[in-house]
Amino acid sequence: MIPLSHFLLISAVLFCIGLYAVLTRRNAIQVLIGIEFMINAAVLNFVAFGRYDKIAGGGQMFALFAIVLAAAGVAVALAIILNVYKYFKSIDPTKTDTLKD
Amino acid sequence: MEGLNFIENRALIALLAAILPLFSFIIILASKRGGGANLALSGISLSFLLSIYLFSQIWNAAPEHKQLSWFLMGKVQFYAGILLNNLSVLMMVLVSGISVLVHIYSREYMKNDPNIQRYWAYLGLFCFSMLGLVISDNLLLIYLFWELVGFSSYLLIGFWYSKQAASQAAKKAFIINRIGDLGFLTGIMIIYTQFQTLDLVTLFGDNGLISKASIENDLWISGSQNLPEIWLSIAGFAFFLGAMAKSAQFPFHTWLPDAMEGPTSVSSLIHAATMVAAGVFLIARIYPVFNPIVLDVMVWIGAFTAFMAATIALTQNDIKRILAYSTISQLGFMVMALGIGAYSESIFHLTTHAFFKCLLFLAAGSVIHQLHHYCEKNNHEFNYQDIRLMGGLRKRMPFAFWGMCLASAALVGIPLTSGFLSKDSILIRTFEWTATRDGIFVILPWLMVLTSWLTAFYIFRLIFKVFFGEPREIKANKLGLINDSPGQMTYILLVLSFFCSFIVFAFNPASFESSWLWKGFQVSFIKEINYFHWMVPLILNSGSFLVIFLSYRTYVTGKGIKSMEGTWIYHLSNREWFFNEIYNFMFTRTVEKLSLLSYRFDRTVIDGLVNSIAAFTKIISSVADWFDRRIIDGLVNATGTVSGYIGRFFRNFQSGRLQHYLTTMLLVVLSIFILSYLI
Amino acid sequence: MIMGIEQIIFYFFAASVLISALCVVVMKNLVRSIFLFFVTLFSLAALYLFSLADFIALTQVVIYAGGVLVLMLFAFMLSNRELLNSLKPSASGFKVNNFAGILISILFLFILLSAIISTDLKQLAWIQESVPLSPADNTTHQIGIHTMTTYLLPFEILSIFLMMALIGAAHLARKGNKA
Repeated sequence: MIPLSHFLLISAVLFCIGLYAVLTRRNAIQVLIGIEFMINAAVLNFVAFGRYDKIAGGGQMFALFAIVLAAAGVAVALAIILNVYKYFKSIDPTKTDTLKD
Repeated sequence: MEGLNFIENRALIALLAAILPLFSFIIILASKRGGGANLALSGISLSFLLSIYLFSQIWNAAPEHKQLSWFLMGKVQFYAGILLNNLSVLMMVLVSGISVLVHIYSREYMKNDPNIQRYWAYLGLFCFSMLGLVISDNLLLIYLFWELVGFSSYLLIGFWYSKQAASQAAKKAFIINRIGDLGFLTGIMIIYTQFQTLDLVTLFGDNGLISKASIENDLWISGSQNLPEIWLSIAGFAFFLGAMAKSAQFPFHTWLPDAMEGPTSVSSLIHAATMVAAGVFLIARIYPVFNPIVLDVMVWIGAFTAFMAATIALTQNDIKRILAYSTISQLGFMVMALGIGAYSESIFHLTTHAFFKCLLFLAAGSVIHQLHHYCEKNNHEFNYQDIRLMGGLRKRMPFAFWGMCLASAALVGIPLTSGFLSKDSILIRTFEWTATRDGIFVILPWLMVLTSWLTAFYIFRLIFKVFFGEPREIKANKLGLINDSPGQMTYILLVLSFFCSFIVFAFNPASFESSWLWKGFQVSFIKEINYFHWMVPLILNSGSFLVIFLSYRTYVTGKGIKSMEGTWIYHLSNREWFFNEIYNFMFTRTVEKLSLLSYRFDRTVIDGLVNSIAAFTKIISSVADWFDRRIIDGLVNATGTVSGYIGRFFRNFQSGRLQHYLTTMLLVVLSIFILSYLI
Repeated sequence: MIMGIEQIIFYFFAASVLISALCVVVMKNLVRSIFLFFVTLFSLAALYLFSLADFIALTQVVIYAGGVLVLMLFAFMLSNRELLNSLKPSASGFKVNNFAGILISILFLFILLSAIISTDLKQLAWIQESVPLSPADNTTHQIGIHTMTTYLLPFEILSIFLMMALIGAAHLARKGNKA
């Protein structure tokens, strides 16, 4: 069997890659992709631990819920991105700085 | 006044007589518009009348002495008062009388001078100080007026101060006078130390302290005070020094010829008749203080001065300078007379000399005035005071000529003049005195006889060169343009000529003992020898006539003594025995070098010190400024700038950019993680 | 060590996930990154299978790859004009403002890795007491039961939540809305 730590390692790396994408990309959709990476890393984590939980099956359940929530979140986020695009004519997060001091 | 009748309060009258010219001085100076001639003349005339009145009251009567307390210094009380005796009232009449004459003369002589207001004011000041001098009753007051007389003389010599020579001459006169004043002051101090009083009557009266003081065991004893005997001589020398400087004795005579830069009327009043007589007056006033040593020195100085001045006058060419040296010479006679003890003869000669010397000066003034007038009118520039350029004025200016002749006769001592009485009296006394002395003193009277003959020569040289012969500078045809002086000047000459005759002073023209003036002072210190009373005048006057004839031949006909120009004797005489050069070398240049040295010291060291302090202060202030600007302000500015930086730094966190916010949050979380891991 | 075929396939899929994820975040070309995202999702699904979560894997493929990804593609296409302009290549290499992102990512990775490595997973209490899944288990059946019994409330809330998201997203994205 694959050791548990391998899964955890992969999920950690994937999470950090997603974090990097959120922090440094100049396109809102790519930021969204980064967020998705982070959520997917969390889901992988759930699933990895869920292998040991036959009684309550919590790992896999939460993984399901997480996927659903992620999908909803993406939908709403894309709607917001569309509105932002209509207003700012750009989806570069660095261009939406009207709240700056 | 206090109940005392004004007429009887003679001291008050004397004070009034002295004060009147002072009032005229103050009023004339204070008033703006020009003029003041009438005010000055009325003031001095009034003084003259009061002096005549006092003379009539005091002469040969009891002296008047009144005092007021003046000031208190510590525990010592000083008095100021008026002493009127024969000497005082005689001098009062003399001074005010000659002043009145000169005032009237000046009205015409100084008529077109733009500064005439100052002239009247200064004359008033001078008359006040001279009158005050002769009536003062204590040495301190005499000193005060002495100084004031010197000051007025300075003002009047330098009257035309825009002329360099005039202001230099005024300075010279004042400085040499000051040297004498130093002596006078020293004498006052010594007298005060010894006697604790400066009052004339107390000191020099008949029972005065001076006569009561005795010399024992090399000590000068008076009352409770003892000083070494030498101090009496020193006091005498000190007072004599004061008199020497004021009366232009050798070696302090150099100021008098230069003082001729002033107006001629001033020269006649001050430097012939009155101020220069002040020195002789002082010696006469304090006569008891001089001991035999000082008197002998006085004799020799007087004699030498007389001889030296006469030799110099022989070759001078400026008309006023000749008269100045003549004054010096006659003053030497007076001083010598006092030295040998011929008190009354000296005063007598002082009085007669005042009149005929004044006449000489005023006549010379007439000549100068008319020639100056001629120069201006005809655009003919020449030195109108040089006798070599004059000549033949006898026909054109008869009054001046005859006035000058009479005065010269009096100067020489021709019989029937006043000068005959006074001058011969001095010479007779000299012969009598030296009869009791031996040694070097034997040549003294013959020296004076020689001086008298020289006097005759030079004064008639002047007359012959000015009034006789052919005109040298002015062309003969233009001589007609010169007239005699205007009315007022001529009248004065006439009045003074009258006073040169013997009538005024004695009814017997041959005997001076019959003169009322001489009798007023009859003080006999010298043993009389009758032989001299007719021998001396005989020798003297015959010699004078010969000399006058010689002079006539030399200067009018040209067949007398040939010209000695170019010889060393001539040079010695013409250059005034090189006194000015000697003094310049010894004193003036030293003082100038010293002054330059102290100027340099002052500029480099003192000013350098001050400047360096200033520079130092500037440096400190610039340091303080730097400190204030850079550090203090810098601190304040730095605070502001740092706040700005911090503010801007933290402001950048609110960039409005989403990813920056996220970055910041994660950074904080990470730092919490790391810190909690480390701690 | 000797690796069975299972490990090899696992490492292959793991590598695929990581490499495609890296390419997604590094690439400038947005279209390519979205398609590489696609690859990542699929590889993740394969990894789920190795953890005996077959239903999750399928759900992942269906919802993520089939829903989310397509939605992103549509959104990208709708905001086309400006995006194509911003696709022009910027300065190559790392920009300075990437530095903070890299730093934070690496630090986080460091923290996570140190947490994972230092934990002895075999000694965890609940793992030792747990009953692990076996490949023969019918996870779908178990998930169904768990949904209706243990996790009923979250399930219901989730459905309401989905409805809200749907209504909200539809409202936000409607035409003419200037909000």
